[in-house]
Amino acid sequence: MEEELIGVKNTALSLILDCDNLKELEELRLQFLGRSGKLTLLLKELPKLPLEKRGEIGKLANEVKKTIEETLENQKSKIKNQNFDAEKETIDKTIPGIKPEIGHLHPMTQVLSEVVDIFKSLGFQAADGPEIETDYYNFEALNIPKDHPARDTQQTLYIDTRNSRIAAGETLLRTQTSNMQGRIMEKIKPPFRVIVPGKVFRYEQVDASHGFEFQQFEGFAVDENIKMTDLFGVIEYFFKKFFGEKTKVRFVCHNFPFVEPGAEAYISCNACKGKGCAFCKNSGWVEILGAGMIHPNVLRNVNIDPNKYHGFAFGVGLSRLATLRYQMDDLRLLTNPDMRILEQF
Amino acid sequence: MLAPLSWLKEYVDITLSPKELGERLTEVGLGTERISKVDEDTIFEFEITPNRPDLLSIIGIAREIAAIEKTKIKSASWRTQIKFLKPQKPLPLTINTDFKINPRFTGIIIDAITIKESPAWLKKRLEKVGLRPINNIVDITNYVMLELGNPLHAFDYKKIKGNTLNVVQANGGEEFKSVDGITYDLPKGAVVIKDSEKIIDLCGIKGGFNSQISNETKTIFIRVPIEISTLIRKASQALGLRSEASSIFERGVNSSGTIDTLKRCVGLVLELAGGEIKSDLYDLKKSDFSTWKLKLRLDRLSKILGINIAEKNVLSILDSLNLSPKKTVDKNLIEVTVPTYRNDLKIEEDLIEEVARLYGYNKFPKTLPSGQISTKQIPYFKDYKLEEKVKNIFASLGFSEIYTYSLVGENDVVDAGFDPENILRIDNPVSRDFEYLRPTLKIGLKKALAQNKPNFEKINLFELGKVYLGKNLDHAIEDYFLSGISNSKTFFEIKGLLEELFNQLGITDDPSAFIQSEDDTVVFELNFSKLLGKINLGKAFVPIPKYPPMAEDLSIIASSNTKAMDVINEIKNQSNLIVDVSLLDKFENTRTFHIVYQDKNKNLTSDEISKIRSKILKTLKSKFGATQKE
Repeated sequence: MEEELIGVKNTALSLILDCDNLKELEELRLQFLGRSGKLTLLLKELPKLPLEKRGEIGKLANEVKKTIEETLENQKSKIKNQNFDAEKETIDKTIPGIKPEIGHLHPMTQVLSEVVDIFKSLGFQAADGPEIETDYYNFEALNIPKDHPARDTQQTLYIDTRNSRIAAGETLLRTQTSNMQGRIMEKIKPPFRVIVPGKVFRYEQVDASHGFEFQQFEGFAVDENIKMTDLFGVIEYFFKKFFGEKTKVRFVCHNFPFVEPGAEAYISCNACKGKGCAFCKNSGWVEILGAGMIHPNVLRNVNIDPNKYHGFAFGVGLSRLATLRYQMDDLRLLTNPDMRILEQF
Repeated sequence: MLAPLSWLKEYVDITLSPKELGERLTEVGLGTERISKVDEDTIFEFEITPNRPDLLSIIGIAREIAAIEKTKIKSASWRTQIKFLKPQKPLPLTINTDFKINPRFTGIIIDAITIKESPAWLKKRLEKVGLRPINNIVDITNYVMLELGNPLHAFDYKKIKGNTLNVVQANGGEEFKSVDGITYDLPKGAVVIKDSEKIIDLCGIKGGFNSQISNETKTIFIRVPIEISTLIRKASQALGLRSEASSIFERGVNSSGTIDTLKRCVGLVLELAGGEIKSDLYDLKKSDFSTWKLKLRLDRLSKILGINIAEKNVLSILDSLNLSPKKTVDKNLIEVTVPTYRNDLKIEEDLIEEVARLYGYNKFPKTLPSGQISTKQIPYFKDYKLEEKVKNIFASLGFSEIYTYSLVGENDVVDAGFDPENILRIDNPVSRDFEYLRPTLKIGLKKALAQNKPNFEKINLFELGKVYLGKNLDHAIEDYFLSGISNSKTFFEIKGLLEELFNQLGITDDPSAFIQSEDDTVVFELNFSKLLGKINLGKAFVPIPKYPPMAEDLSIIASSNTKAMDVINEIKNQSNLIVDVSLLDKFENTRTFHIVYQDKNKNLTSDEISKIRSKILKTLKSKFGATQKE
């Protein structure tokens, strides 16, 4: 009797655990626990046992019954769950997920962050300086005396001096981040490598490619052995990192009073990959940067000996970099707070 | 500057195609902006940098091309054809000049000319460079200026009263009518020519209406001057009046070019208008305006450029630029002689650029700086990563970033509640809409909110940018502000956001004062520059407690004037076993506080907590008259 009970239990459990649908499971229940089920029939034999064994076997029989019942229940819910999972398969997963409420960093911020990172990898520290500036730092320290024709290329906004002791025409909104060359260099000794991003202002009528406010960054490095090939190398490194390693960089001679020799850099147009498009006026090249070896007069103005030290400097339109990166055809898109623009970034 | 290929070819042989030529010229510094075909000719449009007055002429551009083509410019026949011989019966003229304001005055009188239309070739050439033909004399002076780069002017001799030319500076306020018929009020210091009665020329900028060439003109005086660049520039800027001549003079004209210019002009006048020379050659000059010498050290050339260019190549490049390089006893040293038309070449570095640009910038190898990287923090250092962290917190909480203009209009300033009289202002604004330096970022944010309303229901925007404080320039301060606007978040959501920001920056201040509810929006603004001073990013790990906390809620009834934060602080003060207190609920005068107790050394018993609770209730009763709600 004892062996028979255990045999029924084992058979029942293995059959139940193998079962994977509710209908068959119900059949198994009837097969073991039903009115003429195997266990039911066995239990009917109980009263026939000798009295002293009846208690022990009875206890075992109850345990077997309980185990089979529990296993049946567990298997039942397991099969139900599986069916539920199968049901879920029929949900349309192509429906877009629920949009999290997340804001967007401005493209200018994203570009600026990349610029600072790239130059950091070349040992450049980043600085920040004033926008309200003196004529001295914006022009004169940079070898652009008053009445120099180069001032025409940077028409200037002057600050009203009403109620102030400062002479009119001496304080302005900086026209270039180069103002920081004098401010920083007069306070430190070489060697140094610096970049300075920031806002600049011009007296300029606004159109798609001009504004009275835009962002630039200035870079400069001074040491005993800084040379023009370093300038070209740093600029190429930057543009290849920023626009991709296939970017080509071309240099031409140009005049800026605070550098000598002077240069401008063009990069292969990233919008059309150099084939020619509206961004590059069909030339395949985009003018993007002014640069050169720092003029000895500028070094002398900050008490650095131009016979011992040389340096290079460059200035890039950060706004222009951003519009090129994202192929925006109008500089004004960067100051337009329309969320239909912002949410693209 | 427009230059027809046909004209350039009169001065230099060109083998390169127009496209190649444009590219090479751009590389050496003569930016070629456009190449176009007109009739059978090719027209180049160049951008001339402020240091190169010589390139505002056909001959100057031809010299640059000659250097590229490794050839020399052709010598022109007119140089030898015209001789200035003393005429019989010269016409009278008295010139009084001042070398301080007019370093050189070259001129001559030609009589018995015939004013007529210029021949077709001359008219066509002027039209190609964008000039309108007028009559033969005026056209010739324009033509010669464009060809040789020295501006010149023809006066009707008969209109010069008293046969006298006085070069003087204007007192300021005098009226002057230019050849175009426009009347100007002259600025003080402008250099002018007066005859015995009146001003007849605004030197270096525009000729006078009253002495101009007319159809009846029979006798002319041609003047080729050297002017002082700063004086011309000042006057031209004060008047807002620019001309081809003034842009040449303000860059510095070729001081020894006046005689050649006069020769070329006289030759063309005699050829196209007839007449004869009727005066001595006038050439009043401060000095001889000779060439100057410069030295170039080959080792410095290599040191600055980072490449070694063979001496032979250096000499050949300098020679192609007519700089007459000479080797010296010092093998390292080359001496050059700079022609007067290259007054941009003043120092050794200028010569280094000449060699570098003609060698070709794009042949340079590219290197990275090899020296030390300084670990010392630079002046004006800024941690851009920190700003980025702040911006990322806002973005992660649903705020999008905007960049708006620093310049705003008077209405904006008034609407934001400021008195324009106390706001920094631009003297010469681009427009009235961009006249003041913003004293708050809220101006831009509120406009941005309004702009987005038609398209978006929920708008959350922020800006981190400069504002400009101080009631006048003496007190001007530029500070970074951090400001935001929301039409979908509550005061307490914004407060929570700022608390989280402060928490991440290690700042313990209460941000409530920075937040304002206005109509259907919540706006916040704080001085980020000042906040930076309070940042504490140093963090030290605190071990996770071993024993569990006990928490309970305590409801009290107190006057509605009682501030929740005061109660919280008071509860916290009662025991150092209280690790957190927060306001759970508020209904009329009843507030429920959630209090968390924890002892890091052992499990707390309910006995201990009950003692602290009694202490809390006692204190709250005495401080706020609060009672526990049963």
